[in-house]
Amino acid sequence: MRVKLIYSHSVVEKPILASIVLKTGIPINILEARINAQKGELIVSIPASGEKLEEILNLFREAGVKVQEFIETLRIDWEKCIACGACISPCPTRALRFREDWTLEFIEEKCVACGICVAACPVKAINMP
Amino acid sequence: MHEKDEEIRSIDEINEKIKRGDAVVLTAEEMIKLAESSGLEVAAKEVDVVTSGTFGAMCSSGVFLNFGHSDPPIKMTRCWLNDVPVYKGLAAVDGYLGASSMSETKGFDYGGGHVIEDLVSGREVVLRAESYGTDCYPRRHIETMITIDDLNQAVLVNPRNCYQKYDAATNSSDRVLYTYMGTLLPNYGNITFSGAGQLNPLCKDPNYETIGFGTRILLGGGVGYIIGEGTQHNPTSGFGTLMVKGDLKQMSRRYLRGASFHRYGTTLYVGIGIPIPIINMRVARTAALKDDEIYVDIRDYGVAVRPDLRPVVKRVSYAELRSGKVTIGDRDIPSSSLSSYKIAREIAETLKKWILEGTFFLTKPIEPLPKHGKPKPLKVKGRELKVGDIMSRNVITAKPNDDIKEVASKLVEKGIDHLPVVNEEGKLAGIVTSWDLARAIAQDKRRLEEIMTRKVITAFENESIDVVVRRMAQHNISGVPVVDRMNHVIGILTTDDVSRKIIGGRTAQ
Repeated sequence: MRVKLIYSHSVVEKPILASIVLKTGIPINILEARINAQKGELIVSIPASGEKLEEILNLFREAGVKVQEFIETLRIDWEKCIACGACISPCPTRALRFREDWTLEFIEEKCVACGICVAACPVKAINMP
Repeated sequence: MHEKDEEIRSIDEINEKIKRGDAVVLTAEEMIKLAESSGLEVAAKEVDVVTSGTFGAMCSSGVFLNFGHSDPPIKMTRCWLNDVPVYKGLAAVDGYLGASSMSETKGFDYGGGHVIEDLVSGREVVLRAESYGTDCYPRRHIETMITIDDLNQAVLVNPRNCYQKYDAATNSSDRVLYTYMGTLLPNYGNITFSGAGQLNPLCKDPNYETIGFGTRILLGGGVGYIIGEGTQHNPTSGFGTLMVKGDLKQMSRRYLRGASFHRYGTTLYVGIGIPIPIINMRVARTAALKDDEIYVDIRDYGVAVRPDLRPVVKRVSYAELRSGKVTIGDRDIPSSSLSSYKIAREIAETLKKWILEGTFFLTKPIEPLPKHGKPKPLKVKGRELKVGDIMSRNVITAKPNDDIKEVASKLVEKGIDHLPVVNEEGKLAGIVTSWDLARAIAQDKRRLEEIMTRKVITAFENESIDVVVRRMAQHNISGVPVVDRMNHVIGILTTDDVSRKIIGGRTAQ
């Protein structure tokens, strides 16, 4: 599950994420971070689901962090896509590949939203929302 | 006569069968399967025509346009379509729009290829032109909207399309490269390749027995013709190319798409399908060639040299490239195509359908394509500036255990900003700049080796100034030590040297 964590001025200095990782033992992966002394935004991937996920999200909320779920990674315009493959080998996490019939397949769970495919696409069919 | 030369069927016989509706037509993929299951002899006997296809970026493409005369008329001397410059060294209202001509307002994001796609899609395009005015053509400016229907002619004429095959690309350098071969990750991070391999038209008849001047083809979704060998045609090395033409008004956006390669430029994806009449066993054999029998080199784009001099990393088949990974040394490196195999396949299917429906007939070439020859590189006459011509040879260096304050006063005394650090053998060990020293003094550091940058960007004496200036800009630095092959420092080149000693491409007196 991919979520956006918004830290306010009052909690930005606390090691909240590290504490939650230690407490739950779930290795939360930081995909993107923008933090300064005033506020912070993290996009993280939490490898959990169901009750465990809810527990982790609640720990963040209790610590004063705002949680936004379902962060969309990429938007592919399938009408524009020519299935050339230019985005496939540059992808560092193998989130893009060909299907049997040589159409493009996007595996969202693997995507870390690095954006390298956006630049690699020759027909501008890939966007980051 | 050699058995392979014996004619199985003539093109006239094939056209008779197409007319009667009983020609046997297979796509190249189907031909491969039939040859595998029933043997080549049977396949050659049964199959009249094999259809090929490719859909890839082909920069040497463009369209001749005739706009028609306005009233009062204009002799257009400069002209733009959607702000993309159109070549106007032709008659008053004729122009040529090249696929890689880039928009003067949108740059890399929009170019000639996109205008061609917009025209073929029936979209309105802004036509703007200027002139100096003549007695017969008094108008000096025009701005209007046009669609493809307003044009008298829109003829796609592509000087180089349909490469027989194309060398694959990788990158040994330590940074991401954005090239016409797409995004190449550092340290051999990926491999990109182009061409449809076993579906590629010229791969299906590499001896050019059936493909030649005058061959009727599928071009951009319409009917087109081969009008000669393409520029840089290189049959000697198996890299043949084609010059093609066709009526843009018949074509479709599905097989003609504007594209842009990040930080490289704009281009056009062109769809081409060529029918291969199975006239003898040799053609049957090549029409059934598979990806694992078609080889190209993987070249290193991390070395900024002439394309044919780029180091070859590995020779590899299209089958291996298309598998998604190529093994180099002990690493599996991800590989992916830049041209669409899916649409190449669709083009071969479309051409097959046309022939089966009896709407597309085969042609016998009126001249064969050249079977020998290769392109020459461009010789640069006159001497060009090298690093050695403008670098400073009186280079001041320091030792790793030198005292920072002493070194700082030396820099001030000599008025320099870059100080290469060399070891006991005189080999480059690091570099410090005046900025590094200022910070080190503020932080109370003592020895140079505590603060020097150890991974030094360098240049060789015989390198071109342009290459080294680009290297400095990419690393955001203002000077490089010049070293010999043994890594001894023999000089230093700074952006100051470049700006002071080069004026308008020549050395200052």
